[in-house]
Amino acid sequence: MEILDPTVEAATQPIAYVDRPGSLKGKRIGLIENTKYNSDKLLQRIGEILKSEYGASETRMFRKHNSSVPAHEEIITEVRKTCDVIVAGVGD
Amino acid sequence: MAVELTSKRYRVEDLDAVEFCYQQGWTDGLPVIPPTPDRVTAMLAAARLDPKQELAFITHRSVSITAEKVAINAVMAGCRPEYMGVVVAAVEGIGDPAWGYHGPGTSTGGAAVLMIVNGPIARQLDVNSGDNLFGPGWRASLTVGRALRLVMRNVCGSLPGLLDRGTLGHPGKLSYVIAENEAESPWTPLHVERGFRPDQSTVTVMAAEGPHQFYNQLSPDAEGVLTTLADSMQHSGGAGRQPQYVVALAGEHMRTIAGSGWTKKEIRQFLFDHTKNSHAHLKRTNRMPGDDTKMRPLVASADDFLIVAAGGRAGAFSSFVPGWGSGTSSRAQTKEVKH
Repeated sequence: MEILDPTVEAATQPIAYVDRPGSLKGKRIGLIENTKYNSDKLLQRIGEILKSEYGASETRMFRKHNSSVPAHEEIITEVRKTCDVIVAGVGD
Repeated sequence: MAVELTSKRYRVEDLDAVEFCYQQGWTDGLPVIPPTPDRVTAMLAAARLDPKQELAFITHRSVSITAEKVAINAVMAGCRPEYMGVVVAAVEGIGDPAWGYHGPGTSTGGAAVLMIVNGPIARQLDVNSGDNLFGPGWRASLTVGRALRLVMRNVCGSLPGLLDRGTLGHPGKLSYVIAENEAESPWTPLHVERGFRPDQSTVTVMAAEGPHQFYNQLSPDAEGVLTTLADSMQHSGGAGRQPQYVVALAGEHMRTIAGSGWTKKEIRQFLFDHTKNSHAHLKRTNRMPGDDTKMRPLVASADDFLIVAAGGRAGAFSSFVPGWGSGTSSRAQTKEVKH
């Protein structure tokens, strides 16, 4: 008997990573908030630590439409213009 | 029609074919029908689909769902060829960006895909709308939903424990397909409320928890029955997160509510008005923070209650099904059965 494969290989796509900064000193930090309860508070606290202990210059918070989708285009555009490093997390 | 099937082929001994499918990790835990080229070709022919035709594209997975792969999985699930059109419509539904595949396909919330079939196809294929509504006994109900889940597993990569991270899941993830009892319902069918003609056939897909049963054997009128329903729903599912809900009203309750002259619109409004929670309660029961002085509706809009007449004629029971997550992260979709 001959049978057919029901699966597919997902199309591969190359992803380019930017180099990690050697230091956060003077860097502008973007915080991507995913709308889950308290995620804003957690990121705010992380941002404060990055400023006080690692010398980051400022933080900006962005809010996704919901936790199940990638950051939308307006966030990406704004982050490119105003941030050097971002912190994004999915947490429950 | 000569069709060219391009999927990789395996040659196996007849008696070993089912075991081979297990070994490849292609099944949901139950045995499958071996997807031979002849069976797959018949499935495609019944829906008049070209194997290469793309039925949906799942952006976050970069996965194209083609007719050929859907047909292979439909064969494996045990579908008859004439079921293929319903499976296709369901695939189109979960591929709609507003359904938001990544969330319900992956989430710890453990959603299944509840499918509601409306229009003539439901009766032609004998999709169950009556006794034992969510249970076993009807081939179309059990195999169409299974085919969709096998597509999610084998094509989209939603493997339990890997990219399907449901904490609990539920039995509806095997198959979760009902029809509306349009023949006996006094109400406008779901698909007509959602913009289709009565003679069109449709599938509505909603990312969903399991069904919750409630009973009311005492009330002679709509308000009585729906008061019990509203009370049962009020703290259900992700109360506070405002998902959508399906409400399946079975025979006795359907007749009692219709006897009071209530339409689906009036049912929705009653449920909207009587399922609100106080933020104080949601806070006290550790569901969400909030302003103690405000009320929070169970759903964002009364239209987020999808009402269907379905379930056995006898028994003072009906059911509601909380949707997954919130109504903004995944919205129920209705697609026409075109093939």
